[in-house]
Formats: sequence, C-alpha cells, structure tokens
Amino acid sequence: MKIRTWVYWCISVTMLACGGAPVPHDALSAAQADVKGAEVGGATENPKAALHVKLAKDQIELAQKQISDGDNEEATRTLNRAQADAELALALAKEAKAQGEAAEASEQVGKLRKEMSK
Amino acid sequence: MMRLSTRFVNGCVSGLYAARPALIAASLGLFVMACGGAAVPPQELLDARSAYAEAAKGPAADLAPAQLDTAKQSLDGAQKSFDDDGASQKTKDLAYVAQRSAEIAAAEGGREKAERLRAASDKDFKNAQVQGLENFQKTKQALAAEKVARAEAERKAAIAMSSLAEIAKVKEESRGVVITLSGSVLFATGKSDLLPIAQDKLNQVAKALTDQGFKAIVVQGYTDSVGSATDNDRLSLKRAQSVRDYLVTRGVPSEKATAEGKGANNPVADNKTPDGRAENRRVEIVVTPEK
Repeated sequence: MKIRTWVYWCISVTMLACGGAPVPHDALSAAQADVKGAEVGGATENPKAALHVKLAKDQIELAQKQISDGDNEEATRTLNRAQADAELALALAKEAKAQGEAAEASEQVGKLRKEMSK
Repeated sequence: MMRLSTRFVNGCVSGLYAARPALIAASLGLFVMACGGAAVPPQELLDARSAYAEAAKGPAADLAPAQLDTAKQSLDGAQKSFDDDGASQKTKDLAYVAQRSAEIAAAEGGREKAERLRAASDKDFKNAQVQGLENFQKTKQALAAEKVARAEAERKAAIAMSSLAEIAKVKEESRGVVITLSGSVLFATGKSDLLPIAQDKLNQVAKALTDQGFKAIVVQGYTDSVGSATDNDRLSLKRAQSVRDYLVTRGVPSEKATAEGKGANNPVADNKTPDGRAENRRVEIVVTPEK
C-alpha cells in the first residue's frame, strides 16, 4: 500500500515535470498577431524595424518546433521574446514615420518662409 | 571538488613556478570566474541594463514615462531572476524582453518628440501662411494707396496747369515748364512795383507751383529793345526780383526761387512793332520739375 502510494506520487511528479505546461496557444496567436500588426504598421519599410520583425518570425518558428517537441514552457518564453520583438518593430516603424513627417513639415515651413522672403 | 580545485591550483602554481606574480593572479582570477559563474550577469542582462539607461536619458523620460516604467519593471524582473536563479535561460529570456521593452520606450519617446516637432512646424506653417496673406494684402493696399495718391497728385497738377493756362502762357521746353506773364499786366511802364491786378495773377501762379511741387524756379525778366541795355538789364532784374519776392510771400520756398535780369535778350516777337514790343516785355518763370 505504502509503496503503491509512493509510485503514484512519483508518476504524477514526472508527468508534471515533463508535459505539465499546457501548449501556449494564446501566446502563439498573440505573437503572430503582433507580427501582422508590425507589418501593417510599416515595419517592413524601416530596416531596423524589419530586423525585429524577422527576429520575431524566427522565434515563432522556433516556438512552434518547441511545442511539437513538447517543450511548452520553453516555447512560452520564446513566444514572449517574439512578442517583444514584434512590439519593438511596430514602435520603431511608428517612430520613423513620425520623424519623417516632422522633417517634411519642417521643410515645408522652410520653403514657405523662403518663398515669402523673395 | 575542493580537493580537485586545490590540486589544480597547486598544479598551476608549480607549473608557473618561475612566472611573474601577475600571471599567477590572472590564473587565479580565471579560476574564480569559472567556479563562481553565478556572479557574472549574462550578456542579455547587461544589454537590457544599458538599453534602459539609454532610454531613461532620452526623450522617453518626459514623453513616454509609462512605457519607461514598464521597461523598468521588466528589467527589475530580469534582475530578480538573476539574483534568484543566476544566469538561467529564464533570466536570459526575461532580460531579452526587458531590453526590447526599454527600446520600445526609447522609440515611443522619439515618436512623441517627432510628433511635437511636427505639430510645432504645422503651427509655424499656418502662422507663416497668415503672415504671408497679411503681407500680400498690405502690399496690395499700399500699392492701391500709392495709385490713389499719384492720381490725386496728377489731378491737382492738371488743375493747377489749366488754371494757370487761363492767365498765362504755359509751355514745356527743354529747360523746363515756362510760364510767361505779360509785362503790361504786372507793371506800369518803367516801374518795377507790382500792379494790384498782378498780385491776383501771381497768387494763382504761386498756388499752382505749390500744388504741383517743383525742384526750383528761375524768374527771368525781359524788356523790349527800347532804351539803353544797362537800363533794360537793371529794370528786368528788378522786375524779376519783385515777382520772385512776391511768390516767396505766397508760399514758394525762398531757397528754391531765384531771379535773373535778361534785358532785351531772347526776344519772342518783333521789336519794330508795338505789339511785338509788348510781347517782348514779359516775365518768364522757368520751373524745373521734381525728379
């Protein structure tokens, strides 16, 4: 009886340790959605942002492999990395866009003033 | 383990028996690092720290404080993981995310700054447009006012000339506008005092001159050829001076008006006939126009 209890306990611990973590479906779809968002937000047009889109995609791919290998905990962390890269890509794209627009607006003012001083 | 380490150190020390103490110290240092790996932060954490420090120095501190705070929490989480578990994969992953979080804060600060600059430029642009329009309207108004003023001046001048034409002969010559007044309406024979009727006429001349404006006038007196040249010269000068002085009393600037006696020179008619002589007895006012 005592030995039997110990065996069950051992089996359940092993199960928890090996396949205990659930498949991170939510983290996967969140990371994929962030990559899409970054691409729509113009991240592919800016080299720095494009690099982070690539990093995010590579890590999503890695996470998918880790999931199929049963490394769900590892996959979750990889997806967190992917999501961070995708969010950064979008932030960089927005920054570059705002800077471009600011430069253009400043140029327009310069042109107008020059025109006026003629 | 302990015994092994001691043997390793002993081995090193005996092997480098003749080596300099610095080399021994370096070997010991390496050994300490290898054994106490937990004390060395992973590259990811170092990168996260410097990314956060960079972001905190930039515009994010003022313009994206919320995201910067998120980055700080993320970095603190990675640091805690390192303190608890050392340079584990979890620590590295957290530090990786923390670094991105700091970079996101920096990018948001940069975006906010650029958006503010853009808003300021847009405002400048609008102000410049308004100013440009104002300048344009001012210029237009000034041009219109100038046109009106010029038309008014021309009208006044035309009136002055036509009123003058009623009492005197007005002719444009290369030396200027010449106003010729007949001597008989101005002076009694042989005299240089103005007749009362002459004053009315000269009042009109003075008005026309002051209305129109001029650079200078020369009042020239002429006689007919009767009598001596000396007498004629003297009389013509005195008459010219009378006219000039009177015009000055009527508002013609004294520094712009001079008088000359021309005697019987430059006759405009035949001195052999009485009519011709009457025509030659005259006062000419030569007006040099402005500009």
